[in-house]
Amino acid sequence: MTLKFLRNKVVEVKARPEGDLVVSWRLTDDLFKAEVELIVQPPDLEIIEADARLERFIPLSCRDASEQIKKVEGVSIGSGLRKIVAGLLGGADGCAILVDAVLESSNAVILHFTRPGIEMGESTTDPDEKLVGLREMIKLNPRLVRSCIAFQDDSPIMKGLDI
Amino acid sequence: MISFQRNQIVGAEFIDDKTIRFNGIQEDHIYGMEISMDVRIDDGKILKIQGNMKRYTNFVCPQAVPVLQTAVGLSLREAGWDKQVMREIGRKGCEHFAEIVIECGRCLDPAVMSRDLGLALKQDPGLNQEEYLAHWTAGKK
Repeated sequence: MTLKFLRNKVVEVKARPEGDLVVSWRLTDDLFKAEVELIVQPPDLEIIEADARLERFIPLSCRDASEQIKKVEGVSIGSGLRKIVAGLLGGADGCAILVDAVLESSNAVILHFTRPGIEMGESTTDPDEKLVGLREMIKLNPRLVRSCIAFQDDSPIMKGLDI
Repeated sequence: MISFQRNQIVGAEFIDDKTIRFNGIQEDHIYGMEISMDVRIDDGKILKIQGNMKRYTNFVCPQAVPVLQTAVGLSLREAGWDKQVMREIGRKGCEHFAEIVIECGRCLDPAVMSRDLGLALKQDPGLNQEEYLAHWTAGKK
């Protein structure tokens, strides 16, 4: 059966030589096309530059997207981000697409920093060593506790961890 | 060099007049997930869901596959449905399954709109598409 609708989304993170991160978020589907670019500056992960371009059938609430997106400049990726971005770009008159773009771009930044640790864990095939590595990761990132099935209290990974 | 990339692809097929099937793929440098879900168009209820976890980070992750079934009966038209998916499928199962289920859910109205616009264009190739979609959207409110 042929598709009546197809959406492609891509988000990518690239580190500049001076340390800033360039995050490119793009969406294209049968009705809509959007591109958002954020420049994020470590160590505070502050969004120092934000641009947006929307094409095709643009929802009324997103007509000024290229101006609206500027509101996130100065915001840092960290706790409370969801609420801050919803306050700046969301709401009844807000542009939900921009909210999604900023939050998904921020998530990609976090995963950019997560990837090397996961790759390091792949250097061993020994299940016990893997378990030790996972428990160390949890201790270093307590926000992961109860974030998914693997880190619920009754998970074998959490056994013996007093977090 | 790109240090992290995530791709999401969602396709929508209409298996009959009342039901839409979403096939969603999420592929990134760390995780690989696939979802297929049938949704009743009228009330947005998820009728059937299946998931395939292709790449994950630890041995407990695959236990999240049966958790997907808690999505059956959930309506994508209820306020806060996306938060409920993240809570029930994400926190109690896998966040990355939840992410692709949410993206499929976000495609519900655009997919129906796209189908309707396609049908309208067959009848009237000169149709003002912007105007048609504005009316379509206004009718949803």
